[in-house]
Amino acid sequence: MRNTAVSERWPDEFTRVCNQDDELRAHGRYFDCSYLLDMEEHRYQVVMHHGAVEKILVDPGPLDLRYQFLVKASADTWREFGKREPRPMCHGIWAATFREDMELQGDLLVLMQNLRCFTRQMELLRVSGVPV
Amino acid sequence: MAEFSPVTGRYVTFDVLGDQCRVFYLENGEGQPLLCQHTAGCHNHQWRYLLEDEEITSRYRVIAYDLTRHGKSDPPANKTWWKEEYRLTTEWYTAFVTGFCDALELEDPIFAGCSFGGNEALQLALRHPDRFGGIIAIEGADHSPGFFLDWWQHPHANASQVTASGVWDLMAPQSPDSDRAATWFYYSQGAEAFRGDLYFYSVDHDLRGRLGEIDTTNCPLVMITGEYDYLTPPEHSKRTAEGIEGAVFVEMEKIGHFPMSENYPVFKGYFQQALDTIRQKS
Repeated sequence: MRNTAVSERWPDEFTRVCNQDDELRAHGRYFDCSYLLDMEEHRYQVVMHHGAVEKILVDPGPLDLRYQFLVKASADTWREFGKREPRPMCHGIWAATFREDMELQGDLLVLMQNLRCFTRQMELLRVSGVPV
Repeated sequence: MAEFSPVTGRYVTFDVLGDQCRVFYLENGEGQPLLCQHTAGCHNHQWRYLLEDEEITSRYRVIAYDLTRHGKSDPPANKTWWKEEYRLTTEWYTAFVTGFCDALELEDPIFAGCSFGGNEALQLALRHPDRFGGIIAIEGADHSPGFFLDWWQHPHANASQVTASGVWDLMAPQSPDSDRAATWFYYSQGAEAFRGDLYFYSVDHDLRGRLGEIDTTNCPLVMITGEYDYLTPPEHSKRTAEGIEGAVFVEMEKIGHFPMSENYPVFKGYFQQALDTIRQKS
């Protein structure tokens, strides 16, 4: 079930957690992209610039701002992904894409170009919480 | 005060199907040879803890080599290898392992291989059970499609990072950060070999329909697989073991695809159990 309190404060919390993360600060100098997280109940567009979260759009309209790739899964998969010890196959974007209902769409080259930092950033969902 | 490891490194040169291979290996211990194969695109440091574990090395001569083109083992010295696309085949891989055993004059070795080494373990069980005293297939299965990808060498992306972060999810979130980071680091060194290795792993290796030919009578076979392995999930290894008369399968909890490297204390218990099973069956 959706935690409304987490959902509403999530953009600020995820921004804070990411922008204070030592690993992203150490390796994110060229981490520039815009991506969408489709969590079934809500969609979040994250704009990264020089390794920092510049902007997060909640439920953006279809033409609000272009993005390069998206990661889509059911709310249940995202909720499991966000646990400290997720069950097997929900523990990573590759794992959940190969074995669960997660999908990677859009320009996957941009995803691959930023894979190190993006992978780290997704794991920070276990710190900020998942907003669905 | 400096500390010296009991592990020693050495080179050996031998022929593999006409290829002159200068191979680097680490070893420690005394007893029955225990031959350790690293995973695709990696090298023998994945076995760093096993090599220094006195409970193991007091009973086994642990030998961990770098497969040709990995770590400190260069590509074949007598070939213009840079003019060819690297694709590892079952035939070459199997000739390499048996050639290494011959070169070191190993008697009754146990072969332990992980991932593409786990798949090779099954090939050895099929083709050369007479050469080994036992076989441990770690994260292995009869068929493992889906990872022979061009992303590992795409010139528009950082191949080191794509390779290393591409396999990150193969490890369990419970494994220690330091050992997951070390495994990531090893993978950042092997992108060029990784894709060619995965030709064997995902394409050339296919034992579907042939498992019944594997004879474990004189060469016990144990399969162990981590529950967080999304490439070869436990059910795939279990399916494989069920197709081989006499094979034993054990699922490893709270660990992933690089068990000896990502969380040795958890791996060790299962690995000792596998060695004990082989000893009992021998």
